[in-house]
Amino acid sequence: MSVRNWLRMRIAAAVGQRRNRDVELARELEAHLELEAEERRESGLPSQEARYAARRAFGNTTRVQEDVREIWSAIWLERFARDLQYAARSLRKSPGFAAVAILTLALGIGANTAIFSAIDALMLRPLPFTAAEQLVRIYSIQKGMFNTFANPDGPSALDVRDFAQRSRSIQKMVAYDTWAKNVSFAESAGQPEQMAVGLVPAAYFEILDIRPIIGRLFSEDENQEGKNHVAAISAQLWRNRFAGDPSVLGRKIRINGEPYTIVAVMPDAIPAWVEPGRHSEIWTPFPYSPDMWSESGRGERGYAVLARLKPGVSLEQAQADLSVIAAALAAEHPVDQGVGVAVKRLAGSRVGALRPMLYLLMGAVSLILLIACVNLANLLLARNSARQRELAVRAALGAGRGGLVRQLLAETLLLSLIGGAVGFACAEIGLRALARMPAENLPQLGSVGIDWRVLTFTLLVSLVTSLLFGLAPAFMGTRLNLVDALKQGGRSVTSGRSSQRVRSLLVITEMAMCLTLLVGASLLVRSIMRLEGQNLGIRQDNLLRGRIYLPPVRYTNPGVRTRFCDDFATRVRALPGVIEATVTTVYPPNNGWTQMLVIPGHLVTRIQDVPSAQFGVADQHFLRTLGIPLIRGRDFAESDGATSPPVALISEEFKRRYFATEDPIGRKIHIGPPRSLQIAAEENITDDVDVTIIGVIGDFKNAGLALAPQPQITVLYSQHPLVNGGFKDILIRTASEPHLVESEIRSQLRALDSDMPLAAVQTIDELVERQTGGQRFTTALLASFAVAGLALAVVGIYGVVSFLVAQR
Amino acid sequence: MPTITPARKTPNRTELLQGTLDMLILRTLLFGPAHGHQIAKHIQITTDDVLQVEHGSLYPALHRMERKGWIVAKWEIAKDRNREFKYYRLTPAGKKQLVREQSRWKQLAAAVATVLRPAPGD
Repeated sequence: MSVRNWLRMRIAAAVGQRRNRDVELARELEAHLELEAEERRESGLPSQEARYAARRAFGNTTRVQEDVREIWSAIWLERFARDLQYAARSLRKSPGFAAVAILTLALGIGANTAIFSAIDALMLRPLPFTAAEQLVRIYSIQKGMFNTFANPDGPSALDVRDFAQRSRSIQKMVAYDTWAKNVSFAESAGQPEQMAVGLVPAAYFEILDIRPIIGRLFSEDENQEGKNHVAAISAQLWRNRFAGDPSVLGRKIRINGEPYTIVAVMPDAIPAWVEPGRHSEIWTPFPYSPDMWSESGRGERGYAVLARLKPGVSLEQAQADLSVIAAALAAEHPVDQGVGVAVKRLAGSRVGALRPMLYLLMGAVSLILLIACVNLANLLLARNSARQRELAVRAALGAGRGGLVRQLLAETLLLSLIGGAVGFACAEIGLRALARMPAENLPQLGSVGIDWRVLTFTLLVSLVTSLLFGLAPAFMGTRLNLVDALKQGGRSVTSGRSSQRVRSLLVITEMAMCLTLLVGASLLVRSIMRLEGQNLGIRQDNLLRGRIYLPPVRYTNPGVRTRFCDDFATRVRALPGVIEATVTTVYPPNNGWTQMLVIPGHLVTRIQDVPSAQFGVADQHFLRTLGIPLIRGRDFAESDGATSPPVALISEEFKRRYFATEDPIGRKIHIGPPRSLQIAAEENITDDVDVTIIGVIGDFKNAGLALAPQPQITVLYSQHPLVNGGFKDILIRTASEPHLVESEIRSQLRALDSDMPLAAVQTIDELVERQTGGQRFTTALLASFAVAGLALAVVGIYGVVSFLVAQR
Repeated sequence: MPTITPARKTPNRTELLQGTLDMLILRTLLFGPAHGHQIAKHIQITTDDVLQVEHGSLYPALHRMERKGWIVAKWEIAKDRNREFKYYRLTPAGKKQLVREQSRWKQLAAAVATVLRPAPGD
């Protein structure tokens, strides 16, 4: 039975009961009257007269009925309904006041509802998984350790295996990852695309308790290199690419140039934030390479780890259990020394970096609500003192103060309920608009919507508002001096000293809160402007970026990769409208690749003290394309090749840090960790080459927009086969609007390799804007809240002042 | 509030103590079930017409005590005539309440009597 039906039945039952009791009482009284009349007849009165006499003697039957009804009924409910009716009537009589009050409240409550619904979706709503409270993420925590991974918090595969084997608190545990890969759908039309591909064993889906719509999960066997050419696709991809065709199982897609057989279609049940990096629509098994299971791989941290705790095991128990294991591992393996473990609820990672932003916004909308409430209180104060005569008349006619207060409160309640409803509608509309926005930066916002929790919140806010801010005006408005208020010709009653003081207090509060909002918002706006407006250290205009990935199947060795990149860049440089082009991994605002170094004169014994720098590979056109100034020495030259001695360009910050007093030109340094520390090399990431410094170049942003430029060292990929990997970016300096040459560049790439997509094509300006997207979004919201708060405060203060003027 | 006024119209109407009517009604029902008219009559007769129960007080009192569970009501046909009346009867809770009110009343009466003892000089 729905709540509404239930309520209706209860009301009907209550009304029915009341009617029954009324009828019974009437019968009871009737019987009594008849007996009385009978007695009088017996004593000799004529029957008609006897009846009248009996009725006279009995007194007022209606009064009796009312008294009895009051004994039985929940009288306050009826009285409340009457108050509400009266309030509605009195609000209809002053539509201007009602409209302003309702709009004010709607703004305050609407903003709160919208932000609360985001908090609800990201922090309160239960996860859409079975027994989600048993789902946890597991991280490695390291103190003072220099880490070379993008995600410094993930354990290594070997650690995960040992955790899983030794733990008594964990039911199932899985390490997984997401990679950008070149995907082409051989059987359906369309260009190759770079897509996020989840590398997951079947246990990943089992832990989340997600079963395929059609097909099967990966087998244990398929986690082995060579047998891993099977794929699961998302239902969305199934619909978009295969029109939901059930015969999709068994078809092939090409991932990084290799065919994969589709074995399953998975429901769209995994939110983007569960996966590291981007949202995957394709999953393949996680082929653990043999060296992942050799002890040398124990230091290879950075995997996302998901686990399901055994039923009944608490988070604290699991943490204690794994801590013991981590301590044991640290004792057994030198590379695990100082590495601890953290068990965190999966739900906690949902809100991610948005948590402080949500708190900030919640604070802002609370201020707006307060301003709205102060306005409301002011309006009510003014209205109540303007109504003193009406209230005085009602008091004179016998209404108690309690009754008057109740009446005024009913009006406030009605106002806030209507305001709440309007605000709720506004929030709903706003959220719909938000959901349509392409929020690549904020994937979590996709799930924001209205549910019962949000509804309850809105209702509560409305109720508390009316109680908190209706009560004081109601009490002050009913503190009546009847004689003064009713005195004929008495000018409209001037409000008392105390209500004046309350009013000025309200205005002061309002101003203070409004200023808080404005200052906060302008600070944020200012920091965004500074973030975006700062000099990146390069020529920023007309610079386009595209990403490519050279899969190892086709591009088997560094020489092939170098040739491909050089060919591609040469072809692009030949295009009309292109001034320069370079294939590189280095460009602002983020470099994201660090190398340990051995610099003569910097002797180290501990891993924490090893010199390090931002590192990247490029070709000879790097400086010219980006427009970075050469400060000393020489640029890369065409004569620097695979067979000539390796050379490097260092940034000014690098020189300051490591060659403060000497001339670095011509000095030799080693790129890669000092051999004495025995740190395992990582494929395509860890270099191990001696280079000669040939030039010092200008600093540029390489550690994000917020940080100052870090030491940077840039080398030629052709001279560094160890780090000449598949992921490369091309930067293109154009004569005019960069996106105009985009399709030409694509066709050049297709001419070289029809399976290779050009991904994430953006200008550097767009890249910067994207980086600040989250902050922009917050700032825009906060600024609009501040403007709304200001508007409210202006309206409120104007209202108060004009009321005071009118009174004088 | 239930009030009992002296039957004859005396100029100084006295309002009797709150709860007294309840006690009188409960006491009346101790003899057996009765309807409203019988209760009023019984109180009037046993007090020699000194106390006349006002109907405006009687019925609210009856219903209040019914709600409190001291008495229960049932429609029954009267023995002497062919007509239904709402008969009230005492519940165990009502009997306990009667005992409580009686003892309180006795205390009160004794206290008042002490105050009203003829003064030595009278």
